[in-house]
Amino acid sequence: MRSLRPRLVQPIGLLLLSLASQARGSLPFVEDDYSRALAQARARNVPIFLEAWAPW
Amino acid sequence: MRAFVFTDKSLERRAGQFVWLSINTERAGNTAALSRFPVEAWPSFFVIDPRTEKVALRWVGGATLPQVEKLLDDGRRAVAGPGKGLEEILTRADSLYGAKKNAEAAAAYREVLAKAPAQWKHRARATESLLFALQSTRDFASCADTARTAFPKLADTPSAANVAATGLDCALAMKVDDPRRSDLVAALAQDARSIVAHPRRGLAADDVSSVYDELAQERSSAKDEAGRRKVLSDWALFLEGEASRAKTPEARAVFDSHRVSVYLALGEPERAVGMLEASERDLPEDYNPPARLAVAYKAMKRWDDALAASDRALAKAYGPRKVGILSTRADILAGKGDKAAARQALEEAIRFAESLPAEQRSDQSIAALKKKLAESS
Repeated sequence: MRSLRPRLVQPIGLLLLSLASQARGSLPFVEDDYSRALAQARARNVPIFLEAWAPW
Repeated sequence: MRAFVFTDKSLERRAGQFVWLSINTERAGNTAALSRFPVEAWPSFFVIDPRTEKVALRWVGGATLPQVEKLLDDGRRAVAGPGKGLEEILTRADSLYGAKKNAEAAAAYREVLAKAPAQWKHRARATESLLFALQSTRDFASCADTARTAFPKLADTPSAANVAATGLDCALAMKVDDPRRSDLVAALAQDARSIVAHPRRGLAADDVSSVYDELAQERSSAKDEAGRRKVLSDWALFLEGEASRAKTPEARAVFDSHRVSVYLALGEPERAVGMLEASERDLPEDYNPPARLAVAYKAMKRWDDALAASDRALAKAYGPRKVGILSTRADILAGKGDKAAARQALEEAIRFAESLPAEQRSDQSIAALKKKLAESS
């Protein structure tokens, strides 16, 4: 639902903060490092897919 | 979505199409990214053109796997260029929406939806974005009216639950003296009831959960306590069923938040204890299970258990959510009769809230805490 209220989201669980890329399923997510993602995207000439989430 | 959609192996073929970035909005180190890409609701997703660092497409809220696939296709198209005809208008709408120019985006989405054929492949996504843009600009009547008109066209799509829930949310937010309100609330509640009465395959569980939430609020607005409790009871059963089918502790714990809310609303907080103990055991690094246990124990007036749970949560908590945990701690201490300690907890909450970076600080939250502190003396 496009609500301004908190939604069901995944708790932090096993996904602790890391500056390394972490594969979630098959996708190599860069965790919490926009600059690094931007540099990679420019080098590869592909868009960034950004997931903004909260652990609650 | 983190527990369900992004773990799906079918997305493997997409790995090279994007650089995939995950930002935890509670982390102080992410404020620069949050400043550039403000988040209005959680989760939010952005497709960003790395050449300009502008948002080509934004999606607010959860999504099913097919919706994510479409989002990815549309995002690549938007970055590649504006296209022609309807796609050009859609790209403009998406760009405005990505820049949080919600009123202008709503106008562009309206334009493209009016010109598009009934079976247009982008209709569902454009409609959902239009609804959130209208809701964000507090144009609740237009939001409700748009949802009511759109629902029959989207009733068999993954967007049906969101359209019904967002529309009903908007209708309930309309001024009570608006002559259109009662008809819109009634019609959208009927749409919402059709979702929970006959859940279609392909609807996300969190979307259906939000429909129950709106239906409970609708019964509350109608001052129908028995009806509200019936919705809450059905909602609890739905969430318990979904949790029981979860394949991992992470996937099961996704439902904890709504389950706690429902159990509290039913006046049955004890129903939350077992599941939260299991989540705390299975997810030892996560502050949410003990934080929620503190809330449940507080409602049960088990003050010492609530304080112990609060201690465990605070040992792991960080970011804006820590403010709420401290505020709950103040309530627990006040309930226990220790007014001095309750004031100290509130003062600590205020200090912490004020220390947060601008992107994470909530002036509204700080004002509420200060009011609570003033009233506690």
